[in-house]
Amino acid sequence: MRLLVIEDDVTLRETLTQKLGDEGFAVEQAADGTEGLYFAQEYPIDLAIIDLGLPGISGLDIIRQVRADGKTYPILILTARDRWEDKVDGLSAGADDYVVKPFHFEEVSARVNALLRRSGGWASSQLDAGPVSLDMSRQELKVSDEAIELTSFEYKIIEYLMVRAGQVISKAELTDRLYDQDFERDSNVIEVFIGRLRKKMDPDNSIKPIETLRGRGYRFALERNQSG
Amino acid sequence: MYSLSSRLLISVSVLLLLFFGATVAVLNTAFSEAGEQARRDILDGQVIGLLAAAEPDGNADLALPDKLREPRFGQIGSGLYGELRNAEGLVVWRSRSALGLEIPDGTVPAVGTQLFARETLADDTPLLTLSLAVDWEFDDGTSKTYVFKVAESLDSFNAQVAGFRGKLYRWFAGVAATMLLAFSLLLRGLMKPLRKIETEIGEIEAGSRVSLSDHFPTELQGVARNMNLLIDSERARSDRYRVTLDNLAHSLKTPLAAMRALLGDRKSRQFGDRFNEQIDRMDEIVRYQLRKPAAAAADKPVLQSVHIEKEVTRLIEGLKKVYHDKGPEFEVSIEPGMRFRGDTGDFLEVAGNLLDNACKWCEQKVRISAVPSVGASAIASGMVLSVSDDGPGIPPVAADALLQRGMRLDEATPGHGIGLAVVKDIARSYGGQLSIQESKLGGAEITVSIPPLTSAKSD
Repeated sequence: MRLLVIEDDVTLRETLTQKLGDEGFAVEQAADGTEGLYFAQEYPIDLAIIDLGLPGISGLDIIRQVRADGKTYPILILTARDRWEDKVDGLSAGADDYVVKPFHFEEVSARVNALLRRSGGWASSQLDAGPVSLDMSRQELKVSDEAIELTSFEYKIIEYLMVRAGQVISKAELTDRLYDQDFERDSNVIEVFIGRLRKKMDPDNSIKPIETLRGRGYRFALERNQSG
Repeated sequence: MYSLSSRLLISVSVLLLLFFGATVAVLNTAFSEAGEQARRDILDGQVIGLLAAAEPDGNADLALPDKLREPRFGQIGSGLYGELRNAEGLVVWRSRSALGLEIPDGTVPAVGTQLFARETLADDTPLLTLSLAVDWEFDDGTSKTYVFKVAESLDSFNAQVAGFRGKLYRWFAGVAATMLLAFSLLLRGLMKPLRKIETEIGEIEAGSRVSLSDHFPTELQGVARNMNLLIDSERARSDRYRVTLDNLAHSLKTPLAAMRALLGDRKSRQFGDRFNEQIDRMDEIVRYQLRKPAAAAADKPVLQSVHIEKEVTRLIEGLKKVYHDKGPEFEVSIEPGMRFRGDTGDFLEVAGNLLDNACKWCEQKVRISAVPSVGASAIASGMVLSVSDDGPGIPPVAADALLQRGMRLDEATPGHGIGLAVVKDIARSYGGQLSIQESKLGGAEITVSIPPLTSAKSD
């Protein structure tokens, strides 16, 4: 998943980037409103974290602009202003949730995961589809109640696919969203990881969780067991 | 040109000038016309007099006696001249007064008619003339045409008109000057209250006065009252900021001291946790102090009002996003068009905190209602805002503690205590109060009652 962090405070921005990176997100960072707006409009991102008090273009204006352009990815605002007046302004402009500074990183992480899940159409952080269940808060994958050991990269792929269950995800998109920008892009790597995932999740090839659509990409093929 | 009095004076002067100018012109014309008509009547009489005095001289011609009834014909240069000419235009008789003068021929009227004309003498003296042409029948049966002509110099008449005009100008100039003087005196009197306001504001700025006095004309009382409200709210605001800053500074000292002490044994195992605890405490203190009411003390903010339904809708739209996973159902009953007299930020803070708490605690349902409260002699209605939910509710003992101390009730849901304490502070700053009951939905019902505004008195 590719996130965008627009925050002018260096320490805060770099800490956020690093910790979100540790959690497996690819993170773009922007230090001011102008650069932030450019990234927000031009980059393929899944979620933006925007500070409201920015030099250049204000956070509110970025949100309005991005929404006016028809972008629907979730936006989380960071604000030092705790009054409801400011929160409501941000939410009305098109943000989806807010975190008030100073915050604990866990809070940001929880909101980000919830928003991403929500944008994929899941109601809780526990994604259940057939015998497969993914606990995003614990980063744990189970098949038929049996925990599966995954490397962090394998986890990222299955999480991305499952959050977007039913959608076709191209190899290019997977590479784009999962690697950091400066990573070497090699789509063969994705094929290898998909192969390993299939072997781990479905050793006897009976449930077929991941479908390959020739020339188009991959799809998490199991029906969601949505209860709530 | 931005001075009201100079604007007024200039407009009034222009009006006076136009009015008096028109009057002078009309009077002048009327006077000249009336004067000329009188002259004509006199000339008419004179020409008839000449006609009556004319006698045949026996040589088949007409002659006039030396002494006429009008003595001015006999005085040289009297200004009234008479002349008789025959059909050939030759002078038959000329009055003694016209000695040495040449009366111009002028136009000869048709027989039996008379003709007025304005002519001039050789020395440019203006004349009003009347010629009368008659056929004179002599005793021998023959008849001849004669032209009787009288001319009067207009010098004296023109002098009279000029004199009249001069008098007219002087009079009107005098009247206009008096009126302008009276008007500017009046204006000075009228502007006095405005100058007084200016002076008093100056005194307030200088600190020698607290508020505007209340002895102003009716038209200015509203301005003075609103000024006073503004001054009071401004003063209350700065007082509050000072108090807030003071509280903030003092209350931050304790956690700072604790942190310094902690630094001493930073090798201890829970150092990070304990340090974080102090940071949380400082954060909470800052948040509480900064979220306190923006508006001034009770019954002050009559200057702005909040469209309740619109703001509540905005809040609910926002909260629906924040509590998307929980998906609370909102039930809103607000009188359409109802307004809250006060600061928008304060209203959002009250409604936002109450709704946020309700969303946090509810199972599924959140209800918000707002009704105006009206009292006798109220100049603006108050508001009863209540928010309820179907959550676990707040037990009475805990409710008392919450209301009294504004402390956190449940550490598991941070911010609950701060939110309510802020709501309580704001309600109180509008002279209102906060109460906690059990809701019909099963959970807590929190009601904020803001009393109606009874008068705009200042204290």
